[in-house]
Amino acid sequence: MSTQGVDKLAIETRALTKLYKDKAAVRNVALRIREGEVYGFIGRNGAGKSTTLKMLGGLAYPTQGEIRLFGRPVSDAAVRRRLGVLIEAAGLYPHMTARQNVVMKARCMGLTDESSVDAVLEVTGLTDAGRKKVKHFSMGMKQRLGVALALLGNPDLLLLDEPINGLDPEGIREIRQLIGKLHEEGKTILISSHILGELSKIATNYGIIKDGEMIEQLTREELEEKCQDYFQIEVRDAGRALALIEGTFPGVQAEVSDSGSVRMFGAVDGAAVNQMLVENRIAVYASGFHHMDLEEYFLDRMEGGRQYV
Amino acid sequence: MFNLLRMDLYRVKRSKSLYICFLLLMLATVLVYGMMWLLETPKGQEISLRIGMITPQEAAEAGSILDGIDSLGFFRQISLDGGMYNLIFGIWVMLFVCADFQSGFIKNIMAMHQNRWNYIGSKVMTTWIVDGCYLGGHFLFALLMNRLFGNLVPYAGWEDAAFYLSWVWFVTAAFASLIIFICVLTRSVAAGSLAAVLLGGGPVVMTLYKIMDMFHMGDWLEYSIYLTCAMGPQRYVSVKDLYVYAVGFGFLILYSMLAGIVLKKKDI
Repeated sequence: MSTQGVDKLAIETRALTKLYKDKAAVRNVALRIREGEVYGFIGRNGAGKSTTLKMLGGLAYPTQGEIRLFGRPVSDAAVRRRLGVLIEAAGLYPHMTARQNVVMKARCMGLTDESSVDAVLEVTGLTDAGRKKVKHFSMGMKQRLGVALALLGNPDLLLLDEPINGLDPEGIREIRQLIGKLHEEGKTILISSHILGELSKIATNYGIIKDGEMIEQLTREELEEKCQDYFQIEVRDAGRALALIEGTFPGVQAEVSDSGSVRMFGAVDGAAVNQMLVENRIAVYASGFHHMDLEEYFLDRMEGGRQYV
Repeated sequence: MFNLLRMDLYRVKRSKSLYICFLLLMLATVLVYGMMWLLETPKGQEISLRIGMITPQEAAEAGSILDGIDSLGFFRQISLDGGMYNLIFGIWVMLFVCADFQSGFIKNIMAMHQNRWNYIGSKVMTTWIVDGCYLGGHFLFALLMNRLFGNLVPYAGWEDAAFYLSWVWFVTAAFASLIIFICVLTRSVAAGSLAAVLLGGGPVVMTLYKIMDMFHMGDWLEYSIYLTCAMGPQRYVSVKDLYVYAVGFGFLILYSMLAGIVLKKKDI
């Protein structure tokens, strides 16, 4: 991770709130993203991710609260020039070519040198498709072009909402590598995605939003610490098994997961647990050690299951 | 704002709708001139009688249709008096503005330009430039048609043409800002098209005119965009004739302000 500007905040929101009529899409969100971080923004559909990103991108007005980018108000024209945005679907003119769309954005930004247009098309692998009309593009190609538009002008901060949606595995890898490269260059990236496996490969920090409220912000190291190993068994009577485990192994923290299996955290002797259950005539179908990943952690937080924090 | 203007002009040059709408204007002009040639000239009447388009009696009456009309008067009858120009130009403006919202490209623009007035200013200026090109090009095309069809009407003086086209440019630009306002408000191609047809073609104003005329207030609508286009002066006679500039400028400012306010209040 780049150490450049490690203490400076690229994004800071205070009590950020967005109400649609009386319903809060985002409530009192306090984001703190340092320069150089790749921030994974996680939440269910409708949790408020896109609304938050829209407010950061200047596309929606907050009902309350404050947004500061690089220490300056979000409305500051100089700050906006340091921002690249891809929110929801890439906004593209279908009857224009990929290159023409990028030239349009370049003109909108006041860029006179068209070499940057070719550069972003090359970076996103669209050089050969530059003369092709966007209406003939696949969804993945449109998404790449959206990323190209966001990269135009070499922004310091990128807001990417579901940038790998619709991409094939190769495209996902390319975008991941591109984000990694941008991160190495010291850029700050706020990225939301439902593909948590991919997100966990690139993010240095995470924020989890639920029902419009930020429920947790943590670093990759903190997440790894919380995503501890666990021993899982699949049994016929999970309730009775849980009671027996809790009675026999008081040092083990156990719970019944949504799928009906029993999970045990902490130092667990798997063989002893299996033996105890068999002796108590509880059939064990499967057992083994697992490592909780970001997806499981996220789902756990969403369901309000075992508390890690 | 000038960055956005550069961007808009780049798109205008590459949009098919610009050329298709202008082609429609030219096509209508050719049709009207052709029709007049068939009705007004001896050779045309001979053909019309032969194909049964008119009777000999109608041919005798038709010969005087263009009496007292010069090239400018004929141009405005073809183009602006009946609302055809505003209808076609309004549809182009609607397609141009709504494309930003339909395609989602507006997100790229607004992420860069927090000042929403830049967007409105750019759109008003772009439509004003296109309006000028349309009016000038259409007028020159009408003169060319007059020449090709054997000078059906005498040519108007250039001072009259300059006066007429200059104020019409203002008033039709005001109409464009009305369509911009409706497109920004509704963000819908359907609503924009309906507005272009109903407001550009005149049904709304004429219906209102008839209703208000029952209360002796119909004169008020003579200062509407539609009726100013239809009834505005063709040549400068007195200072009073300059009211058309005030109408054009007033509505241009009013609708541009409304569009800006709506855009500032709504999220993208």
